[in-house]
Parts: sequence; structure tokens; C-alpha cells
Amino acid sequence: MSRLGTIARRSFLIGSTAILGGVAFGYYWYRQPGENPLLAGLGEGEAALTPYVLIDQDGVTLITPRADKGQGAYSIQAALIAEELDVDLARVRVDPGVPSATYYNTALSGESVPFRSTDHGFSAELTRGVADGVMKLMGLQLTGGSSTVPDQYKKLRIAGAVARETLKKAASEETGIAVGDLTTGDGAVILPDGKRLSYEQLASRAAKTDPVLRVHLRPPSEWRYIGKAMQRIDIAAKSTGTQIYGIDLAIEGMVHATVKRNPRQNAGMNGYDASEAEAMAGVRRIVPVSGGVGIVADNSWIAFQAADKIRFEWAEADYPPEMSEHWQSLSDSFSEAHQDSRMLDNGDLEAALSGEVLEAEYRAPYLAHAPLEPMNAIVRVTDERVDVWTGTQIPRFVQENVAKTTGHAAKDVHVHVQMMGGSFGHRLEDDYVRQTAEIALALKGTPVKMTYSREEDFAHDYVRQIAMGRMRGAVKDGGVDAYDLSIAMPSIITSQMGRQGLSLPGPDATIYAAAWDQPYLIPNYRMTAYRAKPLAPISSWRSVGASTNAFFHEGFLNELIRAAGADPLEERLRLIGHEPSRKTLEAVGEMASWGGELAPGKGRGVAFSLSFGVPTAEIVEVTDTGKGIRIDKVWVAAEVGKVLDPVNFENLVQGGVVFGLGHAMNCEITYSDGAAEQTNYHAYEGMRLYQCPQIFVRGLENGEKVRGIGEPPVPPAAPALADAIFAATGTRLREMPFNKFVDFV
Amino acid sequence: MKRITVNGKVHTVDADPAMPLLWVLRDELGITGTKYGCGIAQCGACTVHVDGVAVRSCQLPLGAVEGEVTTIEGLGTPEAPHPVQAAWIEHQVAQCGYCQSGQIMQAASLLDTHPDPSDDEIDRAMSGNLCRCGTYVRIRAAVRAAAGKLQEASS
Amino acid sequence: MQIQILPGALALFIAVGGLAAGAQPQSAALNTFEEGSVSREEGLASWQVFYEVASHPRCANCHVGDDNLPMWSGASFGAPRRHGMNIDAGVSRIGAETLPCSTCHIAVKTFDPAINATPHMPPKTALAWQLAPVEMEWFGKSSAEICAQVQEPARTGGRDVRAVAEHLAEDVAHGGFIQWAWAPGGGREPAPHSLQEAMDALMKWQAAGTPCP
Repeated sequence: MSRLGTIARRSFLIGSTAILGGVAFGYYWYRQPGENPLLAGLGEGEAALTPYVLIDQDGVTLITPRADKGQGAYSIQAALIAEELDVDLARVRVDPGVPSATYYNTALSGESVPFRSTDHGFSAELTRGVADGVMKLMGLQLTGGSSTVPDQYKKLRIAGAVARETLKKAASEETGIAVGDLTTGDGAVILPDGKRLSYEQLASRAAKTDPVLRVHLRPPSEWRYIGKAMQRIDIAAKSTGTQIYGIDLAIEGMVHATVKRNPRQNAGMNGYDASEAEAMAGVRRIVPVSGGVGIVADNSWIAFQAADKIRFEWAEADYPPEMSEHWQSLSDSFSEAHQDSRMLDNGDLEAALSGEVLEAEYRAPYLAHAPLEPMNAIVRVTDERVDVWTGTQIPRFVQENVAKTTGHAAKDVHVHVQMMGGSFGHRLEDDYVRQTAEIALALKGTPVKMTYSREEDFAHDYVRQIAMGRMRGAVKDGGVDAYDLSIAMPSIITSQMGRQGLSLPGPDATIYAAAWDQPYLIPNYRMTAYRAKPLAPISSWRSVGASTNAFFHEGFLNELIRAAGADPLEERLRLIGHEPSRKTLEAVGEMASWGGELAPGKGRGVAFSLSFGVPTAEIVEVTDTGKGIRIDKVWVAAEVGKVLDPVNFENLVQGGVVFGLGHAMNCEITYSDGAAEQTNYHAYEGMRLYQCPQIFVRGLENGEKVRGIGEPPVPPAAPALADAIFAATGTRLREMPFNKFVDFV
Repeated sequence: MKRITVNGKVHTVDADPAMPLLWVLRDELGITGTKYGCGIAQCGACTVHVDGVAVRSCQLPLGAVEGEVTTIEGLGTPEAPHPVQAAWIEHQVAQCGYCQSGQIMQAASLLDTHPDPSDDEIDRAMSGNLCRCGTYVRIRAAVRAAAGKLQEASS
Repeated sequence: MQIQILPGALALFIAVGGLAAGAQPQSAALNTFEEGSVSREEGLASWQVFYEVASHPRCANCHVGDDNLPMWSGASFGAPRRHGMNIDAGVSRIGAETLPCSTCHIAVKTFDPAINATPHMPPKTALAWQLAPVEMEWFGKSSAEICAQVQEPARTGGRDVRAVAEHLAEDVAHGGFIQWAWAPGGGREPAPHSLQEAMDALMKWQAAGTPCP
């Protein structure tokens, strides 16, 4: 173990800021940011060469600490390691690892600072470095913000290379052959005579070898995986019912449970009468939990049935019970007292708006995440330790919060992250895990599997922010001359981080996201963010602030462009001041053959959004069928620096478009008497297959950085659809969901 | 006590006759490829076949089960996938994959009665299966590919 | 004369008012009225009772026209809309062409309101779910239009008014849709009046000479 201790002190994790010197030669140095969490659990003969690669006698395990909620994160992380390690992806195991500060997310912090993602100036990079330090301090091992690829793109390849070179060094020590004469391939070090020493064979020696800290990353021309169509490692399992999700997991001796809480979010319980439920066959135990009760039963169905038989006295919510008051609160927030930031103020708005002014008000409703796998967790509490099996994007918070719930030390809480049946941001919350821990604490020693009913999942989804935009603008000489955009919403960061006991000082970046930093050179251009008072608790919903703000920004920009008599695509190209963004607009125009004649009843709309560093342009084509609007085709061009897997890229973009369009058309969460009125998918359909258009996708690789694609396709979808409907029907939609105003077929 | 046949195997289940087949499969028999998504036949994730016909298992009480039940695990395996599953793998349809058991079971049932479905028939048969990740473009392509494969196999 | 329908213990009593706690089950009987014993005004009032039943969402949502598209309307929904999920029952009226109604609307062995207790669940009865024949289109139709339709045996499946009334009871005997309409469960609003009142209304309307508004 002595050598392992050495490795522990030297274990390496490489953030991009750690890459110093030697770059011209293609070599990198490392600094040590945290402990290698794999070392604590190692057995004899196992080597943990980096925090990302574990080799034992049974084979190679790649640690992929960013959670997989359906976006293919395990596959892409494994591919990045395998690219340098020379292992066959089909023959390695992939494990999400354990919660550890080592796996902190550096890319996410980079997007939370108030610099345009297109700005790589000194102060911008310096500030990102500071935010990065904060993130590291907090140890946020968090999946979100389309950050997995940007964060892991280099880290994981270096980890693979370090492991490879260390294995070669071990082989050299074992055989006496110089490292320079060794090569690697398919999970083995290859000697000059062709003899193969498998990584497994070398594991014991490698564990005693000082890791090689200078490695050479392969040039893209030698890549076997990256940039090529890969088969996702989970695809066969997910097509044959053999993928185990958290909800499918069985732990020996477990009991089933569900939770029923006050349908008013975060409001308490004044009392309950469970006598009828307790008398039901198969009901084992009713346990009070925060804000409600847990029902333990022989199976999930009995637990659901019993939950409906309990009579409750619920407390009132601490937010207004009816929607009209929520909207009024936003409307009242456009005032100096509520001003959170004004990040953009170019030209002379007052002068430019002294003549004829266009004005509008836009609205975006609350939305549920509603991933198809309901929230669930298994927790087992003993005196010594707690085990948690759950799908989560925030394993570190889960560990801390469960420890607080059960009274254990955080180090004794073991979180086993499970494959997730979607998230869209819902699994950035952990209330369902804490409730399961409360039940499990009452049933010490027995694993408790808690599953939300769909109704409970809807009732306790921390929804997408409600938001309102107010715009003024003016046109001149056939183009857009002035644009004054104001946005009011409650603070997502305050609500979401507040539930974790954290607060971030300063303006909330999500209120101005994708609204202040769009690369248009409009002569008179202003964006003001207003922070409304907290209303219903809100959370990050796929694309976060941009999901509402791009609808506002692009929706009214389209109004201005059309008022100027200009072409929506040509005018954007005239105004754009960022080369990669220009290229996405040109690409999408070319893909759609923009500008041609359309058949009667058809209309096309365009929108662009730069979010999460990804310029994304979309064109939507609709037909007014007489019975309703049919969406026929969508074209998307997105600039991500490098498309790591073209198949998964296309799938994620198509899915993002469906997500953006489906919710814009059909979805809202409304509160009445403090409770969400939409209780299941009958009232919250999203998009179904018959409404799905053809979607054509192109990934561009002109940008400076490699970016994630999970979220950027969502924001432009709603405004592009609204403008297409305007083009086809003359009806201008300024409020989502659109099905309140037009029918869809 | 109720005897049901699932994927060719007979099980004796001691449960409330009102208990939906979905939960009998998942919690009593440990057959978890069939998913719970909504409980009210709005998402289709629980779709199984009874005597070859697609049914939402969350709506089928144990007491009303008559005929042989086939779940996604019984349709095919990773080693020997059913042509519909093979098409799903080839087109890499799944993102989170949670709805795909139901999508595949529904598609297999459709292709059983419509070997060469039109776009309109696919839109009608498959719109009761919700996919929150939005993989519909690939679902359509995979259904068409599977139809081709099945026709090749039968000709 | 009173004819007691005896279709078996379960079907003998039907529930009124969605089986709220304490609601008394009610037997359905075919009461006959002498021809001419009912005035035209009373006959029109009786028709109005039946029209309120026929046009209620619990009945009308599946009495749709030749587009074969079932509807979602009524107090449980917002504005009337086409049944979600792109449902098209086809010319077969049972969805046989692509997606059978019974994929979700499972036919159970005996009708028991408890199976429909969960809100927004697809209703289930002991009959295979289906649309009413297209000639009995009621959705969105006026009282006069439906009245003219029920007058005409060619558009009631060859039934005269008495046979229509008996048909209501017969459906109940099979644990079918009409029984469900008055005991829909799951927070759905039951059809107005009661099976007995609907049958009496038809018989009185007939006795009054089937006057239409």
C-alpha cells in the first residue's frame, strides 16, 4: 500500500487551466487537485491509474462521473478515455464511480460568469478561473448545462493517455524492453516480437509504478472513435428491456414504498388520518416524512392505492395560490427596485425610440420536466453506513443531504448512481432521496425502494421559471435600429441553490441568459433583467434561462424584422457580428433553400440563439391545413467545435427540437389553490409522434471550443415556430403554449 | 392464486386480482423491462403483448389476464434480437431508453397486422407511446426498416 | 305493467351519481305508459331529459360522426378537443385498423366502478370499447337533430323507442358503456338524471307521440 499512497498524493486530474508549458511539443504537465477516490476501495492487485481508469484481473473499468440521463454521457466519456487507452469500447466496463470532489465540473462554472461565451479576453478567462475555483471548493460533481463534453473532452483523453503510458512503463520494467519500443493495442501492451501483455496482467505492477506525468495526446487524424459514428454502449440493452434503471433495481430484502406530500410545493402537513390505509392488506407501515408521509407496502401498487386512502390536513403554500397573482407579480417587477442587472446598453435607446415605436409583451409559463422514469431511490440505513441507489445529477449533494437526514458522517453515505430514464433537470433535485432516507431510517436495516407515482412526480416537479418579456423597438431604412428588451422572472439560482442551503451573490445569470449576449450589432440595443420575488419554487429546465429568453428575444426580433420589411434570415446575417454564428445562419439557410417560393398555406420562420456557447440556427416550416397547424420540417445548424459522435449528435439535436416545439405547442403547469393542475400526461403531452416534423441536422466545427449539445437546440425552436405560424396565418403568438391560440394537427 | 404465462413460462401469482399486470410483472415476478411511466395509459411505456396483441399492462388487472403474455424480454434478447429490436439498435433510437420497451412492443404489434404500414398508419398506431427525449424521427425510421426486414424474411 | 330486468346479481343494480359514499344503488325497470296518456308538453319535457343524457360528454364523446374521431370534452377537460394521442377509431369504430380501443380501454370480466376510480384513466367496462354506430352521431348535434334521429328506426339500429329503452337496460346487463356513463368514477361527471329516468323519459316521449323541439 505504500506505493498506492504515493499515487494518492500524486493522483492527477487535469483541468484545462492546468495545462502549462510544453504545449508546442504536445506534452502536458499536471497539478494535483484532489484525492483519487478509487484508491480507498482498491483490492490487492488492482490499480487505479487515474481517477478515471480502474484495472483489475477482470478487465478495464472506465469511470464516467457525469451522469447518464439519456444523453449518452457514459458512451462519450468512455470513448474519450478509450481513444488514448487503446481499449475496445465493447469490452470495457463503465461505472459512474463514487461522489468525489475530484470529479468537479469545470466547464459549468465557465458558463456561470458574466462574460459572453464568445469572449476569450484576459479578464473573461481570469474570471472563469475564479469561478472554477469556487466550483472546485464546492466540489460540484454535477451533470448539467451541456457541460459534460466541454468539461471532459481533454480531461478524459489525458486520463486515458496517462494510464496507457504508465502501463507501458510497467511493461518496460517487467520485460526490460525500452518504453520507446513498446506499443499498445486492444487492451494490451505489445512487445517488439508481437507478444501481448494484457492490461489486466500488468495491473499489479502498474500499481507500484510511478505514473507517467508527461504524455502526448494523439492528433485527430489518428482517432478511432472521436468524430466517427459509434454504437452507444447502452443501445442494445435499451432495445431489449435489459437496461436496469434505478426504478428496476432490486436489493435483497427490500420493501416497496411511495410518498404522498402536500400538493402545495414545500408546504407542511398539519395532520393526517391513515387508519383506512393501515387496514389495507399489504400495507406495512406509514411513516411521517417532511411535508407528508411515506407508505411502505408489499409492492408499489399497494403503496399507491394506500396513499390515496389517507386523509390529510395540509398547510398553505408560501406562494400565491392562483396564477393570476403570479402573472401580476411578474408584471409588477418591471421597476427600478427589482432591477437585477443591465448587462447590455449600446447606443442611445431614448433617442432611437423617440419616433414610431413597436411594443409587445411576451409570456412563458411554468413547465414540468416530467422525465418518463418517475423519481425513485433505494436507501438502506444501518448503524455503520447508508447506501443510496438512485439516478441523480448531483451525487455530492445527495451524499451530504442523506448524511444530515440519517445522522451519519458524509463519508459513510455511499451513493450508487443509477442509469436514468430522462431528467431534463428534475434530477438536479434530491428531495425524493431525502424522503426515502427518512423512511429507511425508520426501518433501519431494511432497504426501502421508494417510487413516486406519476401524480406525485408532477405535483413535486420543481418547475421551469415563469417569465415575462417587455419589448420596445424601432426600425429604420428597412432594418432593425433599436431593441430594448426587459425580462422579469423569479431567480432560478436563488430557488434551486436555496434548497441546498447555498446562495450566490450578485445578479442571477439565468435571468439575462441568451438575451444580453446575442451576437447582433444592433445600433441601439439594451437588455435589462428584473428579479421578481420568489413564487412557486423553480429549477433548471433543459436550457434553463434560455428556454424562455430566446423566445422573447427572437420572437420580438422577428416582429421588428418583419415590420422593417426585411427578410428574417438576411436581416440577421446583416446584423450578426460573430463569424461562427454567421456560419450557422448561412448553413441553415442553405439546408432549407431559404428564400424560395412556398406552396399556399405554408409558412417559414427562423430563429437563432447562442446558448451554452453554441450558436444554433433553426428554420421551421408549417402548413395551415384549415383544421390546424401542421409542422412539416425543421432544419437545424449548430456550432459545437467538434462533433464527437455524429449519430448521437443528430439524435440529441432532433430530441432538443422536439422538446422545444412540443412544450411551446402543448404544455404549461398552472397552479390553483397552490397545487399544480396538471397531474399526469393527459394534460401535459409534450409532442407525440404524429406531430413530429422531419428534422434535418448539421453540426458545424468552426468554433474555438468543443461544446455540449444537450440544451442549445431547445431555445430557438419556439420562436422559429411562432414566426412560421405568423408567416402562414398572420397570427402573431406572444405567449406559450401556442395551443391556447391555434390548433395543431 | 392466478396462473399466468409470461414469455413462455408459467407463474403462479398470489396477488389481488385488481392488481395491474404491470406491477405483477415488475414487483412480483421481477420482470422489469416493462416500465411504469404514468399508470393511466397515457405513455405506453408498459406495453406488452397478450396473445401477440399490444396492451397497456397498467390497465390490465391480473384477474382479467387471459392468454399468453409477452414482454420486451420475451420478444428477443441482446444476442438474438427480434427484427424490430434489431432495427432499433441499428438506428440507435434510444436516448434515455425508458419508453423504448413500449415503443418496440407497439411497433411489433403494428407490423404483425400491417407488414408494410403507411406513414399515416405509423402515426396512428405509435402516437399513444410518449417519448420525452423526442426520438420520434428515429422511431419512424426504425419501424420502416423493421417492416422491410420482416418482409424480406417472409418472402 | 313493470318488467324487472334480471340480468344477474351484479347487473341488477346500477349506481347513480358516480357511487358517492352513501349513494343508493337503483334498479332499472321498463315502465310503460298508455299511448295518449302523456301530453305533448310533457313529451317534450321528457325528450329534454333524454337529450340532456344523450348530449352529455359521457355519452356524446363516443357518439361521433364519420371522421371516426372520439372526443374529449366536459367538466374533466378544458375546451372540447379530439381524443389525445391521435386516436382514430377507423371505419371499424373499434380502432381495428391501427390501434384498437381495447389497447387501453381493457374489457374486464364484470363491471365494477372501482376499476375506474383513478382520475384520467381510460374507462373500462365489461364490453369491448368502441364508438357508437356512425348513424347515431350525437356529438355537437342539436336537440332537434338527435330527436329526429331517435325517431327513425333506420338510425337506431332498427329499434323503435321501446327497443331503445330496453337496449339501455340490456347494455347495463352486460356491464357496458351505459352503466359506466352513470358511474364513471375517477372524478368524471356522471351523465345527468338516472338510467331509470332516462328510460322513463323515452317511454313517456313515445306515449306522447315522440314530439320533437
